[in-house]
Amino acid sequence: MYQYNEQDQTLINARVEQYRDQTRRFLAGEIPDEEFRGLRLMNGLYIQRQAPMLRIAVPYGLMNSVQVRKLADITRKYDKNYAHFTTRTNVQLNWPKLEEVPDILAELAEVQMHAIQTSGNCLRNTTTDHFAGIIPDEIEDPRPWCEIIRQWTTLHPEFAYLPRKFKIAVTGGPEDRAASQVHDIGLHMVKNAAGEVGFEVLVGGGLGRTPVIGKLIREFLPKRDLLTYLEAILRVYNLNGRRDNKYKARIKILVNALGIEEFSKRVEAEWEIIRSTELALTDDYIAKIQGYFEPHPYAADAVDGLSVLENQLDDNAEFRAWYERNTREHKIAGYRAVVISLKPHLKPPGDITDVQLDAVADLADTFNFGEIRSTHDQNLVFAHVAAGDLYTLWQSLRDLNLARANVGTLTDMIVCPGYDFCSLANAHTLGVAEQINEKFDDLDYLYDIGDIKLNMSGCINACAHHHVAHIGILGVDKGGEDYYQITLGGSSREDASLGKIIGKSVPQADVADTVEKILQVYVESRLEDERFIETVRRIGVAPFKERVYATVN
Amino acid sequence: MPLLINRAVVDDSWLLVDEDNLTAHINEDIVVPYELFAQHLEQLVNAEGKLGVRINGDQALELLLQHLDALSLVAIEFPAFTDGRGFSFARMLRRAGFAGQIRAEGDVTRDRLDHMQRCGFDAFAIPDERYSDAILSAFDEVPVHYQGSADDERPIFRQ
Ligand code: HEM
Ligand code: SF4
Repeated sequence: MYQYNEQDQTLINARVEQYRDQTRRFLAGEIPDEEFRGLRLMNGLYIQRQAPMLRIAVPYGLMNSVQVRKLADITRKYDKNYAHFTTRTNVQLNWPKLEEVPDILAELAEVQMHAIQTSGNCLRNTTTDHFAGIIPDEIEDPRPWCEIIRQWTTLHPEFAYLPRKFKIAVTGGPEDRAASQVHDIGLHMVKNAAGEVGFEVLVGGGLGRTPVIGKLIREFLPKRDLLTYLEAILRVYNLNGRRDNKYKARIKILVNALGIEEFSKRVEAEWEIIRSTELALTDDYIAKIQGYFEPHPYAADAVDGLSVLENQLDDNAEFRAWYERNTREHKIAGYRAVVISLKPHLKPPGDITDVQLDAVADLADTFNFGEIRSTHDQNLVFAHVAAGDLYTLWQSLRDLNLARANVGTLTDMIVCPGYDFCSLANAHTLGVAEQINEKFDDLDYLYDIGDIKLNMSGCINACAHHHVAHIGILGVDKGGEDYYQITLGGSSREDASLGKIIGKSVPQADVADTVEKILQVYVESRLEDERFIETVRRIGVAPFKERVYATVN
Repeated sequence: MPLLINRAVVDDSWLLVDEDNLTAHINEDIVVPYELFAQHLEQLVNAEGKLGVRINGDQALELLLQHLDALSLVAIEFPAFTDGRGFSFARMLRRAGFAGQIRAEGDVTRDRLDHMQRCGFDAFAIPDERYSDAILSAFDEVPVHYQGSADDERPIFRQ
């Protein structure tokens, strides 16, 4: 993974001291509230319902064990012994003190971490596929490109005060685990007719109040042009995006207002001017960054573990269930990728304790080259575990309550913090997640339902991407009570689509029962091997609606 | 309102004119609002004194870019510190070869000065109540730049 050089470290240290001084001046009354708000948000600090919330960046979801141990330590020292992973692969602390944030940042800087641009109307953390670098049909590892984008976005002087936040996601091949089509910019590595690798570029995706799927703006962008083209898009957006209404300020609204042809014309005109400037990438730089993402030293004899593994799978049904749901193939024979479920029974999705963090760091050192990844679905990934180690790893994870075999199933939900923590929330989410967990605790039932994506947001800001879930749940406030609107048929994958609302919202007590009715319709209607989303697409939402709102007599 | 140029407070030698006193001062060193510039273009670019134009994000930078040779100063207004359009304006003026003064006006305060300078601003009109000499330390707080800037176009990988 990328290692800071002296310049990177100097920058990060200087940024900590700059923020320390900003905090000091704010507390001394020298910076007005509204202005400090802008400054603290650019450094990941929100003021929430109960306390501030600090969002720490995990660039493209990649960490090493030293960093994870540091996170554990920080939650002990400055917070309440746990952290929360988000859909944008970052980490949130729910209980830091405003005055202590500079110290937290200084500790993070020691391990090459920071909270730069994790919030605010600026260029945010770039995300990617959590299986980057290990999947057989990948065109190219997207992570070096994420790092190149990270450097370009960090403290960009021209784009620190955009109309609204700006998020970029990159995928390395045809599969999309990064929800790239609902990002402000989605970049897909593709090969053109001449066999050259470059990027397909989408622009103007986003969720929130007005969910929009990104539109194709360029079929093929040569690699060296990546930053000049991104800069052209950002400049057109910075100059033309709406600033009079924050709900209409995202780039998706501009692209829709101008139309993709006109928007693209303006970008191309700007790009023509800057395409051959110093910002054009050099082969040396690309090669240097790629050098940080060389394959790990895989053991040639890892394949020997396969026969042992076969026996272990035969002997232990629980282990087999975990293996089937929570691991996936690796392009190197004898290795597998393991998803560590942060969705244990009756715990807030994405939460992890200091003890678990430390243990995960140790396990990563023993079994995974010291590497830990965070995912868009609020889980963790050990991407390179030798077949012969899987059983031992599983046992350790199970003891840590991190081996629930539910990855990709109904209880592998993406859930935002909702009313319990977030001051923007209309409704609770964590309690409802618990309700769903209680109702659907039977693993055999979950396996029968199979691959399904349920996401729940506590308000229309859509932090949990409910619009692009197979089953989306959105908390709404009805006369002071929590109600939930349900959408069906969304997807954040390569076949991205927005879910359709099935009808009027349901009261809190009925959410899990409603989900159950929806699943009944699926079970009755599915064709052989048909996944939930495919059934919804084939039969439409009407049959589900009918069942959910049928009057009982 | 202290005016900061090259990290020192200086006297403002420019006169801001409006519709009413434009004719009286047309041959002096004046700054005109964008609307006046657009209206009296011919007259202004041919006048004797030096010419500056004050512009904001709602107005067309294009018009200024077409007459850069006639301009010695561009004042860019920040109606709110959150309005980032001015950063792009400065950048575009510099890359078009504009060597005159680019002045930031309006909601211009300490924590944006460094970014402004990197984008090409060299003069900052700071509201009295937000000015103190300590503001001079706002520049170069972060000594490493990944991106090129007005005084050095090279991004980190070419530095
Ligand atoms: C608890 C504090 C949080 C606050 C105050 C907050 C606030 C917001 C707001 C206001 C938006 C909408 C911005 C817009 O549409 O322009 C937003 C979007 C988003 N948030 Fe959060 N959020 C919080 C926590 C989270 C968490 C925990 C996650 C991950 C689970 C998350 C992930 C996202 C994502 C992915 C979006 C983008 C949706 C889109 O594309 O429009 N946020 N957040
Ligand atoms: S979706 Fe709404 S309630 Fe949930 S975290 Fe985002 S802003 Fe808060």
